Amino acid sequence: MPGDTLNNPSQCTVSQNPCREVPAKVLVVDDSRVARAYLELHLSKAGYAVTVAKDGKEALALLSENTSVVLLDLLMPEMDGMACLRHIREQHPDIPVIIITVSHEIAHAVDAMKNGAYYYVTKPFNPDEILALVEQAVRARSQTKKLHIIEGQLNKVHALETSVAAQIRKSLLVTGLPGELHGIKAGGLNVASKDIDGDFYDCFAVGSNCIDLIVGDVMGKGVPAALLGAEIKKRFMNVLYKLTRPSGTTSHPSPEKIVSTVHKEMIRRLREEETFFTLGYARFDMHRHLLSYVDCGHMRPIHFHHETNTCTLLQGVNMPIGFPLQDTFKQILVPFTPGDLFLFYSDGITEATDAKGAAYGEDRLMKFIRRNAHLEPRDLCDTIYKEVASYSHTESFTDDITCVAMKVDLTKPEEQSRPQWHLKIKSTLNELDRVRGFIVEVCRGLGKTMVDGERIKMIQIVATEITTNIIKHAYAGKKGKDILIEATTSPDEIMFNFYDWGVEFDFSTAPTPVFDGSREDGFGLHIIAHTADYVRYWRDEDGRNTACVTFFLNKRG
Amino acid sequence: MKLALEETSKIAVITALPNVLDAENAAEFKDEVTRILQGKTQVIFDMSTVHFMDSAGCGALITALRHVKDDGGVLKLYGVTSQVRRVIELVRMYKIIDIFETKKQAMRSFQS
Repeated sequence: MPGDTLNNPSQCTVSQNPCREVPAKVLVVDDSRVARAYLELHLSKAGYAVTVAKDGKEALALLSENTSVVLLDLLMPEMDGMACLRHIREQHPDIPVIIITVSHEIAHAVDAMKNGAYYYVTKPFNPDEILALVEQAVRARSQTKKLHIIEGQLNKVHALETSVAAQIRKSLLVTGLPGELHGIKAGGLNVASKDIDGDFYDCFAVGSNCIDLIVGDVMGKGVPAALLGAEIKKRFMNVLYKLTRPSGTTSHPSPEKIVSTVHKEMIRRLREEETFFTLGYARFDMHRHLLSYVDCGHMRPIHFHHETNTCTLLQGVNMPIGFPLQDTFKQILVPFTPGDLFLFYSDGITEATDAKGAAYGEDRLMKFIRRNAHLEPRDLCDTIYKEVASYSHTESFTDDITCVAMKVDLTKPEEQSRPQWHLKIKSTLNELDRVRGFIVEVCRGLGKTMVDGERIKMIQIVATEITTNIIKHAYAGKKGKDILIEATTSPDEIMFNFYDWGVEFDFSTAPTPVFDGSREDGFGLHIIAHTADYVRYWRDEDGRNTACVTFFLNKRG
Repeated sequence: MKLALEETSKIAVITALPNVLDAENAAEFKDEVTRILQGKTQVIFDMSTVHFMDSAGCGALITALRHVKDDGGVLKLYGVTSQVRRVIELVRMYKIIDIFETKKQAMRSFQS
């Protein structure tokens, strides 16, 4: 609708169109020769370039994008005003059309306005009214033109930004995964949304046993989010390098230490820019078969358990990075076994919606993983993408679709390292003294500074408990059976494997410890679990049981 | 296993406990303690000789405690070495047995 001044056009001041270098073009369409001449005269005098047409057909032939305004009579032969108006609206939607009508047919003019006319004038003409209206319409037309130009420029800028963001994403945010490393296979997928999110991931080896994976999502979209994502990745590398170097040892900073340091270095900038990012930092220790995971508000990763064909979610405790009131970050420890799979993913997957607006969700994703965990990681990611696309009936998502699958090789863990110490004993309790002597021998081999006397005694108690359990339960007190103990040491830890060929230990029959003095047994497992840093137990297909206990030497968590 | 028994007034102090109290000798320890503590109601164990104790050792101490309690008595410990103290903490035995630094303190606790 035109401005308020047009509600009573007769009161408008007439503008003579003097400032325009190129006169605005006005097309007058009226079957009355007198009316045409009258309008042509007045409009020309006011400085407009006027062309005239005697009916709709002729008008359409004369009309071009350069036409600023059309004055259109409603009652004409050949093509009447309404039909002509419809054509103009279709072909030149931005040209304002002012309807000419006689005073007793105002209803028709109102109809015409409903069909997109700019306004109307009534016969007999009031020249001031007409000039005021035409001037308004010309201005509206020129503003629309300018808007279109700006719109075009904005689109170009947006397209450029999207392409820059896409470039950043491709070269910095989702760099290739290593394929296979230290007995773990990695596969990833990132399909960018229309506007590019700040999703990123990276995967690299740390030392000879560990693979670290970072997955994250920066709040916001486009170039700023993509650039911040790239900077975060770089920052993690710097921090890892910085924290590793000074100690000069082969031990590596823990994920929680790395995340806390990155947070410390970035928090000021994140606050200034009023942004934050969610993150998951995972370290797969292939020696201990242990995942250390720091979650900072990222989507909960799925852990597929090969042995039981079940899925669990890893639930972290930290807030996203950039949130106030948080400066230390805690990691969780998750043991895994050969064949297990971990899926890290962005909200684009679980929040994808179907036609009714229902989200895909964690449960559906877990069921899907259970059915497809046999696939190679990269194929699994592709399959997830197809599944989500078919669920939401689209391949044009509003969020990035990002997922990384990490699959542990099916080789037995004990085949991956060569033990340095062995002790073979028979299944009698008077061998316990030899077991404790063996522990001293192994620990002393590492040097006094690595394991002190107090620690050795605690390792001895774990060894005593495990050996006693094997003699009493696995071999049911039968004497003369073999027990083999192997120890593997590194500057970071000592790992003991206790092997027996007796009955598999059934954890469900182990009594729960009672601490009120009413029971005198059931403390063994409790002592082991609270003394060793990491405990695993499994039985081979050939009937050998392994109890594996690990002690960290520099308590890195 | 030969435990020593010192008796001062009504208090029985058991000394010469083995250096290691584990699954190998826990049963023997239980038998010996049950025998020696017959009818005793104020009992103190000198733990200073025990340098290593496992969960079976804990079980043996609990058996001794229950035996004394059944006769309406009380069992206390003193001179607990570091490894044994750590195990006692792990299985929360400090909640059911009073532990003292010295023999004197343990003895005095019966008088108060």
